[in-house]
Amino acid sequence: MQASVRSGPVIDVVDVSKSYGDVLAVDRVSLRVEAGEIYALLGLNGAGKTTLIRVLLGMVRPNGGRVALFGAAINRRTHEVWSDVGYLVETPAAYPELTVLENLEVVRRLRRIADRSVVDDTIERLGLGPYAHRRTRTLSLGNAQRLGLAKALLHRPRLLILDEPANGLDPAGVVEIRDMLRSLADEGTTVFLSSHVLAEVARLASRIGIIHCGQLREELTAAALAERVRRRLSIATRDDTTAATVLTVAGYTVRADDSGLIVDDRSAVESPDDVAVALVRAGIPPMRLTVDGEDLESYFLRAVGVHDA
Amino acid sequence: MREAIITEVLKARRSRLPWLSVAAFGVATAVGALFMFILADPDRARSLGLLGAKAQLSGATADWPGYLSFLAQTTAVGGIGVFGVIVIWTFGREFSDHTAKDLLALPTPRTTIVAAKFAVTGVWCLLLALQTYVLGLAAGAALQLPGWDGATALRGLARLLTVAIMTWLLVSVLALAASAWQGYLAAVGLMFLIVFLAQIVATLGYGHIFPWSVPGVLSGLSGGDRPAVGVLGYALVAIVGAAGTVATVLWWRNADQNR
Repeated sequence: MQASVRSGPVIDVVDVSKSYGDVLAVDRVSLRVEAGEIYALLGLNGAGKTTLIRVLLGMVRPNGGRVALFGAAINRRTHEVWSDVGYLVETPAAYPELTVLENLEVVRRLRRIADRSVVDDTIERLGLGPYAHRRTRTLSLGNAQRLGLAKALLHRPRLLILDEPANGLDPAGVVEIRDMLRSLADEGTTVFLSSHVLAEVARLASRIGIIHCGQLREELTAAALAERVRRRLSIATRDDTTAATVLTVAGYTVRADDSGLIVDDRSAVESPDDVAVALVRAGIPPMRLTVDGEDLESYFLRAVGVHDA
Repeated sequence: MREAIITEVLKARRSRLPWLSVAAFGVATAVGALFMFILADPDRARSLGLLGAKAQLSGATADWPGYLSFLAQTTAVGGIGVFGVIVIWTFGREFSDHTAKDLLALPTPRTTIVAAKFAVTGVWCLLLALQTYVLGLAAGAALQLPGWDGATALRGLARLLTVAIMTWLLVSVLALAASAWQGYLAAVGLMFLIVFLAQIVATLGYGHIFPWSVPGVLSGLSGGDRPAVGVLGYALVAIVGAAGTVATVLWWRNADQNR
């Protein structure tokens, strides 16, 4: 079932562009994903995530650049490499008059899997047992998403390409799928997923690519993301005006907001006790002094330049 | 190929379309039998008024050659509609149900999947033609139509199957339409246009060289005073069939798939 193991990146995208008429959907994107990584492509709706995924899967032909999966160039003649790739693109789809089991049977046959037990195993794994004999037109959005994931996982692929895998899932389902993807990655499966929910991506991905207007704006590891998220010191005193003067004299950059004073200086964030001491010495002890982390969405919007938070 | 065909058969079996197509061709056979019943007795035709007049206008004669010719004619005319719907559904449903994307990155090549779809629709259409023939034999025997002999029966079967195969070849362009326009609606519109043009061109006397009119002319629909189908007519049907099939395969293999 699996193609021969080749060294090098599992996904290798080099200078890929794709345009539809005047619209440049993907603009000279290059990225590499190594075996066992969970790579998340993060972007707003229309940023180019799905187009890039379709390029990876050979569904659309790029205007420029090249794509290779497991070292094999993706083109119209590519067939065997798909034995190692499972995918879910956009909203999950299924034949509505077929049952869950029959839909998976269709995938099993087209994926040329001789072992019929993979269908039952996958149904069990995705928690679709109670719905196995139900026609898919009656499934809820969450269960349709599970079926979409089941189709992607049926053949135990070495590479999973998932477009918004958490769509439609309830909170428990999101956690369950996240744990499953993490466990698959631990077993060596490479996961490439897209999302517009940074908080979800931050919990799961080992590496994140931020795409905006078709361009890959930034790539960073999950650890680097935590570091880059802007932190600030938030202070409230009985006399914010005097406190601001005291801190400015002490060398901090201070601004006021609705809740009190904000200090962005790294030294203040890393040593808030120094700020507290300065205020106490000036006779204005802080009533509140907290280090606030920027929320991830604000960071993301700042990174793509939608607004400067 | 075998696995792709099995999946196409499963999808077709679970839909209502096979039963609807069986019913449509069953009704056509029954209408033919009714016409034979009416035409067998001139007094009966007169007493039935409009229905009797319609039966007489069909130009059929109440005997086995007339009935078998009538069945071939209904296959030629109804075939574009029913075979067309079968082909449009088989290809267009992948876009209407958004399942096409799940067929594009598989170890089974896209060309195999398209070939399986054509194979299943071909067998489906042939079975409908055979159903028409078998039901026709039963109805003709029940009506005790005159003029039965083995050669007439075989000629009738050969003509019916030829008309069915030609009609199936001609609706291959609807597979391309349902694929390229990604759904049913535009392809159904094209089908109506084809049926309309086939009637007009046949009426103008050029049916023997207009591919979509050829099955009708071959079945005897246009009457004996019009030119018969020659090599050019057969060749044009084969060319349209091949072009529609190859273009559909190429489209599935090469076109950007965004749905």
